[in-house]
Amino acid sequence: MTILRSREIPTNQTKPLPNQPDIEPSTPARTQEPNVHNSPDEITLVDESSRRRCLCLNGLTEKEVSGEKVSNSDDKFLSLRSGKRVAKRTVDCYVESDDGFKIESFESELGLNSGNESKRKKVCVVDLVEDKSGASEDFDGDNKIDLRLSLGRSCDGMLADNKNKGKEVVEDLEVICVESYEKPSSSMGRKKYTREEKGKGIQVEEVCAPIVNEIVEDAVEEMEVEKLIENEKPPDVAVTEVVEAEVNVGQTQNQNSNGSGNSSRTQHFRDIAKKNALKFAYFDAQIEDEDDLSDKEGGEQNVEDWPGPFSTAMKIIKDREENVNLFIGSSLFTNRNRKSPINWVPSGNFSAAPRKAPSLKELSLRVLVKNADAITSLDYIPDALRIKLCQLLCDSRRMNVHVFDLLVRGSPTEIRVPDCSWLTEEEFTECFKNCDTSNLTVLQLDHCGRCMPDYVLHSTLARSPKQLPMLSSLSLSGACRLSDVGLQAIVSAAPEITSINLNQCSLLTSSSIYMLSDSLGSVLRELYINECQNMDLKLILSALKKFEKLEVLSLADLPSVRGRFLRGFLTARGKGLKQLILTNSEKLTDSSIKGISENCPNLIVLDLANVCKLTDAALGYLANGCHSLEKLIFCRNSFSDEAVAAFVETASGSLKELSLNNVKKVSHNTALALAKHSDKLQILDLSWCRDMPDNSLGYIVDNCSSLKVLKIFGCTQVTDAFVKGHSNPNLKILGLKMDPFLNNLRKSFTDL
Amino acid sequence: MKETVKLISAEGFEFVIDREAAMVSQTIRSMLTSPGGFSESKDGVVTFPDISTTVLEKICQYFYWSLQYSRGKETEFHIEPELTLELMMAANYLHT
Repeated sequence: MTILRSREIPTNQTKPLPNQPDIEPSTPARTQEPNVHNSPDEITLVDESSRRRCLCLNGLTEKEVSGEKVSNSDDKFLSLRSGKRVAKRTVDCYVESDDGFKIESFESELGLNSGNESKRKKVCVVDLVEDKSGASEDFDGDNKIDLRLSLGRSCDGMLADNKNKGKEVVEDLEVICVESYEKPSSSMGRKKYTREEKGKGIQVEEVCAPIVNEIVEDAVEEMEVEKLIENEKPPDVAVTEVVEAEVNVGQTQNQNSNGSGNSSRTQHFRDIAKKNALKFAYFDAQIEDEDDLSDKEGGEQNVEDWPGPFSTAMKIIKDREENVNLFIGSSLFTNRNRKSPINWVPSGNFSAAPRKAPSLKELSLRVLVKNADAITSLDYIPDALRIKLCQLLCDSRRMNVHVFDLLVRGSPTEIRVPDCSWLTEEEFTECFKNCDTSNLTVLQLDHCGRCMPDYVLHSTLARSPKQLPMLSSLSLSGACRLSDVGLQAIVSAAPEITSINLNQCSLLTSSSIYMLSDSLGSVLRELYINECQNMDLKLILSALKKFEKLEVLSLADLPSVRGRFLRGFLTARGKGLKQLILTNSEKLTDSSIKGISENCPNLIVLDLANVCKLTDAALGYLANGCHSLEKLIFCRNSFSDEAVAAFVETASGSLKELSLNNVKKVSHNTALALAKHSDKLQILDLSWCRDMPDNSLGYIVDNCSSLKVLKIFGCTQVTDAFVKGHSNPNLKILGLKMDPFLNNLRKSFTDL
Repeated sequence: MKETVKLISAEGFEFVIDREAAMVSQTIRSMLTSPGGFSESKDGVVTFPDISTTVLEKICQYFYWSLQYSRGKETEFHIEPELTLELMMAANYLHT
């Protein structure tokens, strides 16, 4: 917990402060944190005996912070209306007291040299600390979250370096929420926290807004002396106001259930805060280093030129929200407090469902896996069973040369080994050198890095020019010792390949793609090049355009995928494209999605996990352009609830699999839309979407008649009311607590 | 009272089991209930020229074990390793 930090003036972009825990802030992504010049300030120590909640807000540049002591020791925690406790943390040094309480000294940072009075910069740090127990004095450092709210005041001298951005950025003022301990003597208050916290869960993202509001409203109203470290400046009125207000807020929260006369005042504060909040919220958009200009401009255009179905749907949903808001009034601030419009009562009768016996096929396979070494022949076993057997053997790491030899014997048509990491070069050579591959149509040797350097190929797979005449599907993912030369040898022996998987083949370069386009340009349908780090994407664009029949292109984990590259490819070959995997392509923006929607009308599968820069506009483009989508994967994209709901309403008619993993804002609007419009949906992933309570999930599940799998990893808000009470008999729920899920990891709608 | 069906193995052995037990296999279920006047549905006799006697006997045992399982009594179903390959193929064919 001890944090010693010095800060400098943010004259240019700097990395975030050290010691920050790895939790993403709720404000939009920003890389720069304004630093503060370290000043030789007095450090006032917190008086142990008196702890008071202390929130300082440096509202205006002209005002200074007074150097007041924190006299109260219950400054340590600021409890928010949501029940969370915000820990105060000073930005300088901590002094540990004898009895174990952390005494924080609070120091305010100065923006500039002390000589320049009008351009002072203060920095406050808000630490949100989840105090789970509510009773411990020391807070758990693991849950600390740095929240920096910069207030928008530009300071000429300090912004000299930032002016090239063309806008006045960077405030020198930030809000600091200081940790405060709950008063130990007020056990009554502590119990309240415990109850509140337990009731309200561990959502942290929403704290940001309440903090801003409370801070602002407090700053405006109260007048009290706050403890802040300051040097020679006179007391800062604004800060004192804030302190006073903060204490009041804290007390208000503390006595929330008491319903004192504070409520009307806090109401008043809240209104003021809402008016001013926008001014104070700070978003630094200086993220890109060397991006395409075209990427930037695309995102700013409107989604549609005319009121299309998506924007109409958005508007309807937003109007509905506003009407609800007006009706309920501004007293309910957070989403969680708002009563969900979904009425769903658990009606399922789960205790009566009988358990289905495992099938005889499964039982036999299990016995076979255990006794794999005793198998003498796999000759008349159909391919499907062989594949399943191999899968299970690889999963339990019982696959060995003996079984591999059996697989390779005869004239096999399919050899699929999902994990060849146990196979050595010698074993591979031994098994394959006499293999009759004339009928082989599918060869899958994933994770074969160990056994497939270039020099074994001429004696195994590339023995002769027509070694693999019928091979249509080749998967050599993880072949990290395979170079361009080796791949050429294989491909020259297999002229009919329609699907080639070269994921994680780190030695392959762009010349491999050129080679592939020359030999397989007219037949190749599927190309997987995830994480091929040595491929320079700028160079392979022209080669990619040569594949006439390409239907599946997988470019996951290639961080250099850019909008320009994608657009170049899509304008040429987008029409035939059915699957596009763009996981982790962080540089893509909305304009790339616009390109996809315009050029790929036949797209069935689209994976946009971790493409974090997308906004709601991207959903609009997709809704208007790609009408045949069956599988859509989102993860950690920041879409709003209304946008996702509008998308589902307009475009999800053919969706079979949808993942909204970590799309945290989805809530009741999405639930309503999913229930009404997703009758073909079979797999739904709502992991980490904590705004979906039991009744939303139950409503979705009971109304999506085809739903077979629901993934709710990390959804701590789900209770037995939903799990035992829903009435969808075919549904499998994955991700709850300690339920086993490893058997279901590979579930896609083709497996069901 | 109880309806029974007869399953005949490759060697000609006849196994008479309850209709409900035989219905555990999707293949047999559709054979016995398909409209179309097939002899299986009329007589209640199904012949399996590809399944040996020992395997067919084990399959019948599985049928009864499965019914028991779904009624709540969950025990273990032991399979002799020598039988497993053939049993797996037969089970695959019978959709059970």
